[in-house]
Amino acid sequence: MAEAEFDAIVVGSGMSGGMSAKELCERGLKVLVLERGPEIVPERDYTDQLAPWESDHLDNVAQDEINQHYYKQYGGVAYAIKESTKHFWVKDDEHPYEEAEGTSYDWLRGYHTAGRSIMWSRQTYRLGPQDFTANLEEGVGVDWPVRYEDIVPWYEKVETFVGVSGSEEGLDQLPDSVFQPAFELTDAEKSFKQKVETTFNGRNVIPARIAHLTDATEEQRALGRSNCQARNRCHHGCSFKAYFSSLNATLPAAERTGNLTMVHNAIVQGLDYDPANNRISGVRVVDAETNEARTYSSRVVFLNASAIASAMILLQSKSESFPTGLANRSDQVGRNLMDHVSSAGVAGIMTGFEDKTVFGRRPSGGIYIPRYANVTENDKPYKRGFGFQGGARPLGNSGGQIAGIGRDFKEAHKRPGPWRFSVLAFGEQLPNPENRVTLHASRRDRWGNPVPVFNVSYGENERIMQQEAVKDAQAMMEAAGCINITTSNANLSKPGNRIHEMGTARMGRDPATSVLNGWAQAHDVPNLFITDGAFMTSSACQNPSLTYMAFSARAANYAADLISEDVI
Amino acid sequence: MKTRREFLQGLIISVGGASALSACGDAANVVATTAGERGRFYTQDEMALISRISDLVIPRTETPGALDANVPGYLDALMSDWASAETQNGHRAALQLISQRLDSLSGDFKAASETEAAAALSELDSDAFNGDSSLGGYRSLKGYITQSYFATEAGATEELKWVAIPGRWDPSVDIATGD
Repeated sequence: MAEAEFDAIVVGSGMSGGMSAKELCERGLKVLVLERGPEIVPERDYTDQLAPWESDHLDNVAQDEINQHYYKQYGGVAYAIKESTKHFWVKDDEHPYEEAEGTSYDWLRGYHTAGRSIMWSRQTYRLGPQDFTANLEEGVGVDWPVRYEDIVPWYEKVETFVGVSGSEEGLDQLPDSVFQPAFELTDAEKSFKQKVETTFNGRNVIPARIAHLTDATEEQRALGRSNCQARNRCHHGCSFKAYFSSLNATLPAAERTGNLTMVHNAIVQGLDYDPANNRISGVRVVDAETNEARTYSSRVVFLNASAIASAMILLQSKSESFPTGLANRSDQVGRNLMDHVSSAGVAGIMTGFEDKTVFGRRPSGGIYIPRYANVTENDKPYKRGFGFQGGARPLGNSGGQIAGIGRDFKEAHKRPGPWRFSVLAFGEQLPNPENRVTLHASRRDRWGNPVPVFNVSYGENERIMQQEAVKDAQAMMEAAGCINITTSNANLSKPGNRIHEMGTARMGRDPATSVLNGWAQAHDVPNLFITDGAFMTSSACQNPSLTYMAFSARAANYAADLISEDVI
Repeated sequence: MKTRREFLQGLIISVGGASALSACGDAANVVATTAGERGRFYTQDEMALISRISDLVIPRTETPGALDANVPGYLDALMSDWASAETQNGHRAALQLISQRLDSLSGDFKAASETEAAAALSELDSDAFNGDSSLGGYRSLKGYITQSYFATEAGATEELKWVAIPGRWDPSVDIATGD
């Protein structure tokens, strides 16, 4: 076999790809990162320094432009797509996909350096021990080939590097991370916490855990990162590098080893398989701008393209040995596509805090209510559970939707107004092999790659769970003394809309029913690792980025061991 | 005097963070307007109506008002550059309705005295926020005026005390002492 050009190729530079690249580079391996989109240069492309008056038309994207280019993306995350941030999101007309009849799917994403780690909402939680055993205990899906204890050291390593603000709570189901100081709760949130925890034994209201620096370490400062400035401009990028993204942290860390090569505009079309050695022998790419094709080679390949894109790359890589797609002897590639599920947000007014306001704009977060269903409360008509995200803030009046004109109207905007408390449940979705992404039989994108077809629906468990979650939220609001309690609507969130897609190349113990082993290494192809959301055997209910990074770090170090032992 | 951007850059460096500064987009194509001119979207009559309503909704007080902040020019740019044809048509129709209602309340809204005009607009505003669904277009207009005003430098910094870099999070500030 010819000498490989690189020790490792990492496909994708986002949340998990950045961590894979960092760990592989720090082990002394020569690493190529292939990013399908253009380069983001913070000095040029972050827009966090724009003042409100420096954006055109209230920073809204022109309506015709939304209809032409962002009809899916804007429909899914209107809150994040502004005139000054639209360059972080794909244009739907350039990156089409299809949905099976009677279903719909939100595939919300950006193609550029660091991927969605630039636009994420930064909520950061560990999975708990129960999340790794639930499938086995309930006979759902397949058993995780890993237990919580296996991943603890990698959580610790990643958290120390990333920087997570939060509070130590000692909860079994939501273990503490290595923390920097939490963003303190508002008075209304403290009151809510006290009343809910008194009324509902076993429920906890804690500060949201978010990947923002509040006490930057020497290592973080050395990477040019500094503490959060409470601007809440995070969807524009952060010139202070205060929130974690791979562009703010892992990619610079990989770069400084001298072992990183990064190529942009490189769309992977397939992986070449060498049956004689049972190895991937090449990664075929096409340049997004020039359409020039070329093949790179390496001893090991990490797919970190996102759960959906990584599955598509495997499905596109057909050979005599793998007629249905590389590493797909189990027929599980593209199946078990999961997300988190929400339904109505619940909101109410908290009185008694009219003489209070806040200073600074807290980024993301607020409160988090860790899962209690089927943990401390076992009377539920559904499996698994959910966590609530939410918080209380002064409502303000700046939208102009109050009566009155003149001085009184103008000055009403100076007052913070009543405090509004809102929560939204993020629930676990059970794995279902019929929820899947496949390749369209004939339709191709402009680079000749098949477009994906989504066929994903929620099941009874998700529906019942979310009905109950809304009732629980209302009961907690009432216990906390909220008035004017309202819910938005009772529909479940669209699959994909929580932007936590996962499960399309699940880990398992049996090669006949799973794609990856406990190291996120393909059962069928030893030099293939997949450490984006695809490996997730179940979804848990926690925001998953931290878990993707912990498994990436663990897999990268395992792969480095195998390379040093000449096994792969 | 330092520009705001130079000031921010100095601050970022002093905080020890990125030296990065985002590219500033081109300043909005907002044309300063007076009530006597036509805009890129608004006719001369529409601009006069928008100007009078903006001034009455957010007058000059100890801080600049909507006219000082060129809210009519901002709305003209919003309608020209942001709004779809459907939104433009709906807005134009709403202005006609608003104009007719205000004329019937005040005789001639544009020529009415400050007091008469304010009384007419107050009544229409009250109807709009008390269930008169035909005035949805007025509520939209009021939203545009208010949001535009608070997005201007005058509205954001002088009226709302908006600061670019708070630098810290304080979850509990007494309004009496905290301004």
